[in-house]
Amino acid sequence: MAMEKQQAQSPVEAERTRNRRVFVPPVDIFEAKDTTVLIADMPGVCEKSVNITLEKDVLTITGTVEPEQHEGYSCVYSEYDVGDYQRAFSISDDVDKDKIKATVKNGVLRLTLPKAEPAKAKKIPVRAE
Amino acid sequence: MGIKNLVPWSFGKKSLPVRREEEHPFYSLQREMNRIFDDFFSDFSLAPLGAGVERFEKFSPSINVTEDDKEVRVSAELPGMDEKDIDVSLTSDALTIKGEKEEEEEDKGKEYYRMERSYGSFQRVIPLPDEIDTEKTEATFKNGVLNVVLPKIAEAKSSRKKIAIKKE
Repeated sequence: MAMEKQQAQSPVEAERTRNRRVFVPPVDIFEAKDTTVLIADMPGVCEKSVNITLEKDVLTITGTVEPEQHEGYSCVYSEYDVGDYQRAFSISDDVDKDKIKATVKNGVLRLTLPKAEPAKAKKIPVRAE
Repeated sequence: MGIKNLVPWSFGKKSLPVRREEEHPFYSLQREMNRIFDDFFSDFSLAPLGAGVERFEKFSPSINVTEDDKEVRVSAELPGMDEKDIDVSLTSDALTIKGEKEEEEEDKGKEYYRMERSYGSFQRVIPLPDEIDTEKTEATFKNGVLNVVLPKIAEAKSSRKKIAIKKE
């Protein structure tokens, strides 16, 4: 069964100035060595149309998709709607905010959030005396 | 029985041009019920057997079809796929889109906090009207969205004749 695009309940606190549907992109979040990786499916976005903001530990990703308008076309069958994407995440203090990396490929956003130095587990060597 | 009898289709039947599942009350009720069950059972996803299996069975692209009197346009959302992994083929009466969306090798076996995206192989068959010019069909893939443009044959276009109404 196809995954339905989930429409955002309340896109964000801010009011929108465009009459466009907003969807919540499905995400995977996993932890790798020293980094947390966030992957979001946002079909239709390119690297220029994705915005990532970080403010007070809230990471917001938005993507705008321009719907292709074809004059005189009638819709025969429709399973999805085209619209913008928006989702917010609260991130913990132990992310090195200056080193967050983001790439977009084939409509998938990949965010790499490196852990800040003190958050890394520190191994204490034990010496034999 | 041809494929057209199996799939609800509205080419040629102008009385019911759009099938929009979103606006159909029963579909939305059904989806709502599915969602409630999914939400409930997702709490048990850490069960030792079958954990995460559905994630690899679920992927199926969403498709939109639009047309005008010159061409039919099919678009499909395939985020995270490469154009080389998508197979688009055309027979006289149907367009087939198939492929497999695979999890990236480096992401396998990691400690996941959230798994919402899905993977797996899929096949979608879209029945077409007879008047498609199979030679001039073009497919493009951009930003995770596949677009297939299927031009209609010129003779078919002109077969519909408009009759002028005279005023008496």
